[in-house]
Amino acid sequence: MSTPPPGSFARPWRGIPGLLAAVAVALVLSRMAPDQGYILNIFMQAATYGIAVVGLVVVLGYCGQISIAQAAFFGLGAYGVALGTVDYDLNFFVALAIGVAIAGALGLLLGAASLKLGGHYLAMVTISFQQILTVVLTNWIGFSHGPDGVRNVPRPMLFGLSLDGGRDYLGLCLVTMVCVAVAVWRLRTTRLGRAMQAVRDNDLAASTCGIDVLHTKVAAFGLSAVVGALGGGLFAGGFRYISPDQFSFAESIVMLTMALLGGVSSPFGALIGTGLLVILPEWLRFLHQVYLAVYGAAVILIMVFLPDGLWGFVAERMRRRARPVLAEVANLPLLARTGEETAEIVLGVTGLAKHFGGLKALDGVDIAVRRGTVHALIGPNGSGKSTFINVVTGLYRPTAGRIDFAGRDITGLPPHLRNRAGLARTFQNIRVFRGMTVLENVMVGAERVGNDVAEDADGIVRRALAALDFVGMRADAHRMVGTLSYGHQRYVEIARALAGTPEMLLLDEPAAGLNMTEKQALGQLLRRLKGHGLTILVIDHDMNLVEQVADHITVLNFGRRIADGGPRDVLDHPDVIAAYLGEPRSEAA
Amino acid sequence: MTLTRRTALASAAAVSSFAIIGRARADDTVKIGVCSPLTGAAAEVGRIQLNSLKLSTEHVNAKGGIVGRKVELIIEDDATTNPGVVLAFSRLAANPDIAAFIGSIRSTQVNAMAPDVAKVGKPVMFGGTDPTLTHNGYKWLFRCRPNDSFSARVIADYGVKTLNKKKWAIVASTDAFGTGGQKALVDALSKAGITPVLVQGYSNQQADFTPVVLAVKQAEADIVASYFTFEPDLAVFARQLVQLGVRIPWVGSPSIVSPVSVGLAKAALNGTYGIADFTPDANDESRAFTAAYGKIYNNAIPDSGWTYDAMQILALAMNTAKSTEPAKVRDAILAIKGYKGTEGIYNYDQNGDGLRGYNVVKNEGGKIVYDKHIEFDA
Amino acid sequence: MGILLQLLFTGLGIGAIYALVALGFVLLIRAAGVVNFGQGEFAMLGAYLLVIFFNLLALPYWVAILLSIAIMAAFGVVFAGATYWPLRNRGGLPVIISTIGASIFLENMVLVLYGPAAEQVDGLFDAPGIQVGPVFMDSQYLSIMVIATLLVLLQYLIFEKTLLGKKLQATSQDKEMASLLGIPVAAMILITFAYSSAIGGIAGILIAPILFVSTGLASIIALKAFAANIIGGYGSIPGAILGGLALGVVETLGAAYISVPYKDAFAFLMLLAFLLIRPQGLFGEKISEKA
Repeated sequence: MSTPPPGSFARPWRGIPGLLAAVAVALVLSRMAPDQGYILNIFMQAATYGIAVVGLVVVLGYCGQISIAQAAFFGLGAYGVALGTVDYDLNFFVALAIGVAIAGALGLLLGAASLKLGGHYLAMVTISFQQILTVVLTNWIGFSHGPDGVRNVPRPMLFGLSLDGGRDYLGLCLVTMVCVAVAVWRLRTTRLGRAMQAVRDNDLAASTCGIDVLHTKVAAFGLSAVVGALGGGLFAGGFRYISPDQFSFAESIVMLTMALLGGVSSPFGALIGTGLLVILPEWLRFLHQVYLAVYGAAVILIMVFLPDGLWGFVAERMRRRARPVLAEVANLPLLARTGEETAEIVLGVTGLAKHFGGLKALDGVDIAVRRGTVHALIGPNGSGKSTFINVVTGLYRPTAGRIDFAGRDITGLPPHLRNRAGLARTFQNIRVFRGMTVLENVMVGAERVGNDVAEDADGIVRRALAALDFVGMRADAHRMVGTLSYGHQRYVEIARALAGTPEMLLLDEPAAGLNMTEKQALGQLLRRLKGHGLTILVIDHDMNLVEQVADHITVLNFGRRIADGGPRDVLDHPDVIAAYLGEPRSEAA
Repeated sequence: MTLTRRTALASAAAVSSFAIIGRARADDTVKIGVCSPLTGAAAEVGRIQLNSLKLSTEHVNAKGGIVGRKVELIIEDDATTNPGVVLAFSRLAANPDIAAFIGSIRSTQVNAMAPDVAKVGKPVMFGGTDPTLTHNGYKWLFRCRPNDSFSARVIADYGVKTLNKKKWAIVASTDAFGTGGQKALVDALSKAGITPVLVQGYSNQQADFTPVVLAVKQAEADIVASYFTFEPDLAVFARQLVQLGVRIPWVGSPSIVSPVSVGLAKAALNGTYGIADFTPDANDESRAFTAAYGKIYNNAIPDSGWTYDAMQILALAMNTAKSTEPAKVRDAILAIKGYKGTEGIYNYDQNGDGLRGYNVVKNEGGKIVYDKHIEFDA
Repeated sequence: MGILLQLLFTGLGIGAIYALVALGFVLLIRAAGVVNFGQGEFAMLGAYLLVIFFNLLALPYWVAILLSIAIMAAFGVVFAGATYWPLRNRGGLPVIISTIGASIFLENMVLVLYGPAAEQVDGLFDAPGIQVGPVFMDSQYLSIMVIATLLVLLQYLIFEKTLLGKKLQATSQDKEMASLLGIPVAAMILITFAYSSAIGGIAGILIAPILFVSTGLASIIALKAFAANIIGGYGSIPGAILGGLALGVVETLGAAYISVPYKDAFAFLMLLAFLLIRPQGLFGEKISEKA
C-alpha cells in the first residue's frame, strides 16, 4: 500500500458545498432583515466590519504582524467608493476597485516597512499611517469634502439587478463577507498561508526554510489592506454617508479588539468578535457612559483570560484528538540514493570572519566540506561554532571572507536564497513553528523552492509524511508540534529540513538536551542519512556522537581553526586536548 | 401647581422631572425623539441643552401638553460623532410613535443625518448653524438658531461699522462649522469691500497656537474674528494672543462667550466681543428661562436656549395644527411669525430658518454683558 | 528673526512636554520591555488628581502636587498588576494591547466619574512668563524645561550612583541573571512602573496649566512622545529627550511655515521617515535577534 493518506489536503473542491451553503444562509439572513432602519444598520455594520476584521486575521493572526491601521484601509475603500461615485460618476464597482487598489498599494508599502521593524515599531508605523490619513481626509477639503464627509453614496446595480433596497444590498455585503471569510480560511492551508504562519511563529527559522520573510509579510499586509478596503467600500454604500471620524485611530482599535475577542487565528473567530462588538453596545446600553470604560476593561480581560479569543477557547475544547497517521507512506527519494564520498567540495569557506564590535567571534576560518561526508565542527563553548553556522546560513553578515556552496558564491545571499540553493539547517535551541501541526511544519520544509517534488498539495503532503516517516514521527503528524517532547521536536526540525531534499544539512548541536537513548537514536539517524549520501555539517559537544558519525573534523577555538582532519588525528591533536581540558594555549603549544 | 411645588425642591427636580415624564403611559403621550451628545467631546454642552429641553418639556406639560397629551422625551446618545448621530437617529426613527425629533447643534452631524431625515419624513428641530443645511431641499429640517450667514454678517457689521476696523484676520477651525463660518465671513466682508489680511485654518484640539498667533501678528491685522469649535482651543489661543502681545479687538463666534471658555481662559478674554444667539439678559423670554433654569440647577446660567425654544415651537405648531401629523406640523411651523423665544423672535421662512439676528456681547472682566442685537431682514 | 526665535522657544517648550512623557516610556521599555500605550493616561490622571486636591479640596498647592505624585506612584503598581503581570511571559504584543485597553478604560472612567467639562489649574508661577527681547517665554514652558532637565539628572544619578539603580539596570539587561544574583526582579519591575507612573503624573501636572485638564488631555501627546522615543532611539534616555525636542520644533516650524491644519501629520511623517531610513533612531542600537 503505497497510497498516502493525504486526507483533506488533496481535495481542491473541498469546501465548495460548504461555501454554497454559507452563501445561501447569508442570502436568507439578508431577506430576514428589515429593509431600513436601525436593525438593518446594525446588520450592515456587522457585515462590512466583519470583512475588514477578517483582513486582520491575515496580517495579525496568520502572519503575526501588528497592524493598528485597519480602519485606515477600511476608510480608503469607503472613500474610493464615495468619491468615485459621487464626485466622478464612476460605476460603483469601478470605484470600489480603485479604492481597493490604492489601499492594497499602501498596504504593500506598510508591509515593506516591516522589513526590519517588529512589534512596537510596526505598531507605531501603522498608527502613524492611520493618523496621517485622518489628517489628510479632514483637511484636504477640496478632494475629500473634509469633515463634512460625503453624502448620498449610491448603491450599485449587479447583473441588471438594482441593489438599492436595504435587504438587497445587505445580501451583497453578507455574501462578500462569507466569501472573504472562506477564502481567508482556505488561505491558512495554502503554501502562502503556511509561509505566513511560519513567519509568525519563527521568522528566522522560516527564512532558513526558504521562505522570503519580507515578501510574505508584504503579501500579508497587502492582502489585509485589500480585504479591509473591500469592507470599507461596501460600508460606504451601506450607510450612504461617510466622514473621516468613521475611520479614525479609535476605529482601528475597535477592529483590533473585535479580532482579538473572537480569536485572531481564524476568520470565524473574527466574525464572532465583530458580531459581538457590534451588538454589545446594544446589550450594554443600560451602561450609558460607562460603556466605553467597560469596553477598555474587556480588552484587558480578553488578553489575560482568553489569549486565543472566544473561537480559540471553543476550538481548543472541541479539538478532536489528533488522528495518528497509520497508513504506510512512500519513502523519501533521498533513500533511493546510495552514499558515496567524493572529492567535490560542496561547501567551501575561506577566511570567514565575524566581529561583534571588538569581539572576534570568527577570525579567518577556512573549511571545506566534501560531498557525501559527515563533517563535524567542534570546539569549546564560545569558540564560534554557532556563529559560524549562522554566518553560513545567512543569519549574520560576515565581516570578511567568502562562502561558496555547490559551485556558487553565496556570501551575499539572504537566508532564504541559501536554502533554495540547497542549504538546510536545524537550530541549537529548537525553532519549530509552534502554532502549527507536525505535518504542517514539515510541509513548510517540503515547499522549498527547488525541491524535487510535485508542486500540488498532494505531492507536498506525501513528501512531508515521507520525511516524518523517516525520522519515525509519522504517527504524530496531526499533533500540534508544541505538545511534543523536546527530543521529538528536534526530529520534527530534522524532518522539516529533510523534506526539502537539501544538498547539505547543517545540524547545530542536535544532541543538546537529549537523553542517552535519544542521543543514540540520533546517532543512528545521522549514520542512515550519511549512508544515503547526504552531506552533513554537524556541530556538537558530544564527542561520542562526533566520533560515531564524523568523517572529518574541524576544531575551532577563540574563533580560529586549531585543527582539521580525520577524526583520530584531530582528537589526538595536543591543541585540541588543551582546548578541551581548558589549559592555557600558550602552555599547550 | 406641580411646577411650583417642584421648583421649591430645587435639587431633586432633575430627577423628579424624569419621573414625571417617565410615568406617563406610553400610548397617551406625544413622543419626541432626541439625539443628544451624552458622551464624547460635546457631552458638557449636551448636558446643558438636555436640561433646557427637559425644563421646556415640563413647561409644555404644565400648560396642558400637546393636543391634550403629555410630552415624553426619548433620548439617544449620539456620542458627539457623525456615525453616532446616524445610528442614534436610525434607532429613534425605527419607533413609529415618535412625532418629531430634536437633533444636533453640530452642523456636521445634521449633515450626516439629513438623508435619513428625508426618508423618515418627520420634523427635526436642530441647532447647527451651517447655512446650507436648510438650503439643500431638505424640507423636514427646522433651525432654532440663526445660521452662520447671519453670524458672519453680524461679526462683519459690528467690526466694520461699530468698531471701525478694516484689516481683518480670520481664524477658524477646519471642521465643517469653522469652514462654513469662515466662508460666510469672507463673503460678508467682501460686500463691505474688505479682503481679509489673513484667513487661517487650524485643526481641532491643538496644544499650541503660537504659529497662528504669529501669523495674525505678522499680517498686522487690526481686528481678529474667529470660529472656534472647542473651548480649550479657544482658551489656549486667547492666552497666547495676550502673551505674544497681540492687543487688537477680537470678535468671536458664540464659543468665545460660553461659560466654559470664560472659565478656562479667565482674564485672557477680557475685552473681547462675541456674538451670541442666546444671551440671558437679551429679552424677557431669555430672562425668564434663565431664572427658571437657575432655580433647578443651582443658579447655573444656561449657555443656549435653542432646545428650550425647539420644544416650545413644536408644541406651538402641533397645538395650532391640532395634530401631530408631520405634514400639518410642518405647515404650522413654517407659518410661525413673531414668536418670541429665548433666542429671539422667530419668523420662519420657507427654508426652515426662523431667526435672522445675533446679540453682540462683551466680556467685561469675566462678565458677559449684552451690548446690542443686530438683526437682518433676509 | 524674532518670529523664528519665538517659534523655536515654543517648539522646544512643546518638545519638552513630549520629552517628559517620553521619559516615562523609556523607563518601562528598559526595565520591563513594555511599550505602555497608557502612558498618556498617567499624565491625565496626574492632572485630574491635582484638580481634585487643589481646585476642589483646596489643599495647599505643593501639598496637592506631592499627594498627586504619590498616588500616581501607587497607581503605577496597580496598573502593572492589571496589564503587565498576568501577561509578562507572553511576549510583547499582548501587553501592548492590554495597555491600549487600559488607556481606553482610564479615559472613559474619568469621563464618567468627573464629567467632560475641561478644568483650569494654576501653574507653578503666578507670572505668565518673561519677555526676552523678541521672545515671550511662557513660565510654564520654562518650568517644564527645567523640571525635565532635573528629572533626567535625577534619573541618571539613581541609575548610575545608587545600589537600587544598579539593581534596576541589572534587571533591565538580563532578568534571569539578575534573579540569579538575588535581585528581586518582580519588585524592581514594580518599582519601575511606580516611577514611570509618577513621572507621567508629573508630566500631566505640568502640562495641565497649558492645555487645561480634560480626559483627552494626553492621548495624542503620548503618541507623539512614543514617536519621539523611536526617533531618538528606542529605549535611550538622551534619545527620548532629543527626539521629543526635535519633534516639538519640527512640528511648530512646520505649522508656521508649511501648514497649520496639517501640523499633526508632521510628527508622524517625521517618524515614518526615521523608521524607514534610520530605524535605530538618533541614539539607538541596531535591532537584531540572535539565532
